[in-house]
Amino acid sequence: MAKVQPAIISCGFCEHASKRSDVNMAELVNEAVEDCLKKAGSIEWKDIDCVINGNMPAFEGANMPELWMTDHMAAKNKPLLRVTTGGTTGGSVCIAGYYAVASGLYDTVLAVAFEQQSCGNTTVGLSSVALGEISIFPALGYDYDRLKRNLGAGAAIGIASYQAMNYMRRSKATEEDLARVVVQNRRNAAKNWWTHLKMPTITIDDVLDTPYISYPLRFGMVCPASDGACAMLFTTEEKAKQIADIPVYVNGVASYSNETAIVGIDCAGAGQVDPCEQLGAVKSAEIAYGQAGISFPNKEIDYAEVYSPFPNQELMWVERVGLFEENKAPEAYRNGVSAFNGELPINCSGGVNSTNAIGASAMERPAEAALQIMGKAGNQVPKTVHTALGHGWGGAINFITHVVMSDEPQRKWR
Amino acid sequence: MDKVGIVGYYQVKPGLDIMMSPYEMIFEAVRGALDYADLKRKDLTTVISATNDYYDGKTISNCFKVEAGGAYMKDESKVEMDGAHAAMYGLFRILSGNHKLAMIYGISTPSCYQYESVRVLENDPTFDRPINLLNSYTSGGMQMRAYMKAFGISEEDIAKVAVYNLKNAAKNPLALPEAKKADITIDEVLKSDILSTPLRELMYPMKCDGATAMILAPERQALKITDNPVWIIGVGNVNETYYLGDRDLSVSLSMEMAAGKAYEMAGIKDPKSEIDVAEVFGHTACEDLIIAEAAGLTDKGKGISMVDRGNLNPSGGTMAGYTPCANGLTRIVEAAKQLRNEAEGHQINGAKMAIATGQVGFCAQNNVIYVLERGGN
Amino acid sequence: MLEEDQEIFITKGMVRADFDFWVGLVMDKFYDGLQEKKFIGTKCSKCGKVFLPPRNRCGDCFVKAEEFVDLPETGILKNFTVTTYKITERKIRKVKKDIMVGLVQVDGADTAMLVPIVNTNPDNLKEGMKVSVVWAKKLKGDPQDIAGFEPVGDG
Repeated sequence: MAKVQPAIISCGFCEHASKRSDVNMAELVNEAVEDCLKKAGSIEWKDIDCVINGNMPAFEGANMPELWMTDHMAAKNKPLLRVTTGGTTGGSVCIAGYYAVASGLYDTVLAVAFEQQSCGNTTVGLSSVALGEISIFPALGYDYDRLKRNLGAGAAIGIASYQAMNYMRRSKATEEDLARVVVQNRRNAAKNWWTHLKMPTITIDDVLDTPYISYPLRFGMVCPASDGACAMLFTTEEKAKQIADIPVYVNGVASYSNETAIVGIDCAGAGQVDPCEQLGAVKSAEIAYGQAGISFPNKEIDYAEVYSPFPNQELMWVERVGLFEENKAPEAYRNGVSAFNGELPINCSGGVNSTNAIGASAMERPAEAALQIMGKAGNQVPKTVHTALGHGWGGAINFITHVVMSDEPQRKWR
Repeated sequence: MDKVGIVGYYQVKPGLDIMMSPYEMIFEAVRGALDYADLKRKDLTTVISATNDYYDGKTISNCFKVEAGGAYMKDESKVEMDGAHAAMYGLFRILSGNHKLAMIYGISTPSCYQYESVRVLENDPTFDRPINLLNSYTSGGMQMRAYMKAFGISEEDIAKVAVYNLKNAAKNPLALPEAKKADITIDEVLKSDILSTPLRELMYPMKCDGATAMILAPERQALKITDNPVWIIGVGNVNETYYLGDRDLSVSLSMEMAAGKAYEMAGIKDPKSEIDVAEVFGHTACEDLIIAEAAGLTDKGKGISMVDRGNLNPSGGTMAGYTPCANGLTRIVEAAKQLRNEAEGHQINGAKMAIATGQVGFCAQNNVIYVLERGGN
Repeated sequence: MLEEDQEIFITKGMVRADFDFWVGLVMDKFYDGLQEKKFIGTKCSKCGKVFLPPRNRCGDCFVKAEEFVDLPETGILKNFTVTTYKITERKIRKVKKDIMVGLVQVDGADTAMLVPIVNTNPDNLKEGMKVSVVWAKKLKGDPQDIAGFEPVGDG
């Protein structure tokens, strides 16, 4: 248990779109920071003691952009730390925000994550994850030309389609089940102000009518590439009580990394034998729930945001983090358990499937979960949310961030 | 702040091109630090790395380093700044009480990339980058000019600092072999190639491949692991504005503010007399002085006096070989060695209190400082 | 560590990544201004500091700085350096001609910008001298429109 109990008092977003050509990176981040501060009540920018920032730098082509953006994110003459871990960057920044407060060194900490993907080429950025390992391929007997052709497979969709196949084999989920997740996400996104793909009338047939990108994933199931930023404000329990109506206490955090998925023998997939097993997620969930004193996540968690650029991942994650029994998620989705007005609403913000500003995505999950507890979410669920989960995923499918939060401080459960 | 102990460390012997893969280097550093402290990988609870995607030439540079860094199924994260900043995050994690043993490592292999070119990518992409005039050479040159003008310092004085550092490097077994210059003279430095007036080649560090690892533990655990840990008793980190045109380059505002916080935390009233040894990360010989002055070790413009006293950068500092991402961590480790009486060949006798600093950004935009105290006997 | 009899693989390859940065509305206006041979800065709505190149937020006050201010073509050289190294995103090259780099504070602005200094030689440069802009022959609305600043009068 952390010595100082950190709490979230505010979350801010900027409007997400495929091209935010009206702003540069710094201005984009500034929008989220100002939105966050505006909703933080009496807290002003001068009260911030420390700023944590992160993005995936390869997508914008700017190294350590936070140095340049200092003035725009209220970080001038303040401590500033940059935390980046690929897809989980946002979650890692959020966790760093938690630790900055929990350490007792800083009282009020601003965590900011962003991505302006329209500045660069995301696929090139992603393929360099695989390309970095180029040294091992000649040793395996690959010639360079063949390697070059296969590079795209190292990127997200390559791994995701393998993962989808594995998951569908295990759980007997159908393509229709995948499409159902997409429909739920995009309809939810239509009710949330900052999201990217808003499709209030989309149906399962609409999704299944689109062509395959990589079997079994269709064009209509793939997440967009967005420009956007997210900011969160952390402070101590004592201060949070004075400032926020409903402070959201962060009670458990974990980011246990699994083995790297070395690009497989045919350059198309993961070295983790089954990419939907996700030991890291299982362990992170166990640790974070343990810290938060949660014994029965499926009963105690009221709301969850999981990181799912592709629909099969949403089904997989809710099982791996203990919200549903193994292979039972598709059925639960069919019965509307995870819907906006269901028993355990999931990704009511629209999820990563509707908005993916990569560096920010993993932060938007805990941020939206916190807003649901505060009752201030863009797409607020009808049920009262006491305990919520924000989850992130990334790296070469080996990074996880897991943030468990509640409207009560940690110690009361112990 | 509660005391946090440095209980283990290891530096991979640096070289201009050491013909090891980054993974081998990380493994050697992490394994070395664990062995030094007589610990096992399973004892670690968290691992923080300092690497940079652009320096490594790959997206998510830490994701393939998980196994080599001992982070498999550990709470892992990366700080994309200097190693000293990664240590800061490690400190957060230890102080929170959630973690009992943190491994921090920093690594870079500048033999594989052109460091100055990559740094151009740090520039403001809306103006400084297209006009392409700001880089480590020009920023170092302007900073040196500003410092010389503000305090009436001559080029000879800065050359003296470079000579002092390079001579110190000759005494440090873990300095870059090419930077060990026991017989260098001020004249040689002043005759070396101009990088950007008035900055000369021998006032600017040589980049080298290297990796450094360090282990942190809370007070109780640290005392179980070793009889003489080094305590971190104060820490400060401040980031100033990016725009060179807004800043007074002759001083380091961020270090001044950071040092103020760190000394307050450590209960140090007069750093001039209380600090026995300082390992500072200056990007040029001149910046060493600016940072030492900003850290309150001497009056402004009087940094040269530190050279005469001999307690600034006994290891040779950055001039003994500069490994991006690891250099700040190396400074902390060097300072810790001084306090544990382990600095072979460059030991300052009776050192009880030390500072170590790290930085990122042009003209030391973001500075972090640690106050270290000798523990045990 | 590499053994002596070990073979080394050298694989050469190039992945090209192009980046197009959005500069934002404020910088857009600045670049439009350059095309008309004008410097347009912004002013902080609280402390009144004038920024050139413009930015839309003041770091000290953290408020909008979106009021545009026309600024003159003359200014003061605050700091300078002379190098023969041309450093680009790809490589470092040593050139024959000295490259003079200056931090120039345009009159009426509170910040200095990093620009080339032209039409003089390095020995003549000194801090505090008066300089005036030299526009490029062909104006395109980008930073290259500023060919440089040259000393005016006797400095």
